[in-house]
Amino acid sequence: MFMKVRILFFGATAEATGERAIEFSLSENVNADEAFAAILKSFPGLQQNFTNSLLFAVNQEYSGGDKIIKNGDELAVFTAVSGG
Amino acid sequence: MLLRLSGSNKKFPPERKDAKKDKKSSSHQTFLRYWYQRLNKCQMIIEKDFFELTTEPIDVGEVARRFVPSDCGATVALDGYVRQFTKGSETLYLEYESYEPMALKEMEKLIAEAHKHFEISLVGIVHRLGRLEIGETSVVISVAAPHRRAAFEACEWLIKELKRTVPIWKKEIYAGGETWIEGENQTTLLNNS
Repeated sequence: MFMKVRILFFGATAEATGERAIEFSLSENVNADEAFAAILKSFPGLQQNFTNSLLFAVNQEYSGGDKIIKNGDELAVFTAVSGG
Repeated sequence: MLLRLSGSNKKFPPERKDAKKDKKSSSHQTFLRYWYQRLNKCQMIIEKDFFELTTEPIDVGEVARRFVPSDCGATVALDGYVRQFTKGSETLYLEYESYEPMALKEMEKLIAEAHKHFEISLVGIVHRLGRLEIGETSVVISVAAPHRRAAFEACEWLIKELKRTVPIWKKEIYAGGETWIEGENQTTLLNNS
């Protein structure tokens, strides 16, 4: 079974993917690491440009590891932050 | 969070030393004080930490002086602004972008952490987004404390952490092109979940 999540891109990742917000299908019960691996696979531009410094968030919290992703979650992929 | 009654640290009307001796004056003063206190309640000011994102120019003085808590003796305010020359190369202007709801959450967390680590009373953070010209203020971090040392230390800690954790990015536009600035490697953030 599949579920829908929303993926947001910002700054450099928005430019690399040409997207700011998209709907994305994931298998049910995937964890954060698996979800982000699936996203990187769908957007080769991300992997080429910034493999080392990408950060991930789930529902506006830094995330990774085995956190389970749920239907309707808001995921975000972005580079190391540079505010200030 | 501090709650202060506006003017509550001032005695009004001023107490006269001979007030007890003068019964007529005393009842008059009680009457006045009653109404003045009622008035004060209408002007209640809530002093509390604040964190904001804005596309408007930031008034540093306004942020620093927005609250002057009665238990404090110093406010340290960082005025971060757009640098024209970085190691000899010229920036024309910057563009800031943010993951706004997450940035606000991260700012709130930072302020809570700062209160745990430092003897401070109040923190205000205002970050600007959008296009910023050379010399314009991009961020103000204002920390009020009973004594200055904690305010300096907390302010330094806050800007360092803001640059590491708060999802804001800047694009530098220079004569030859433009580039998104990447912060230093922050992958440790992902292990905190």
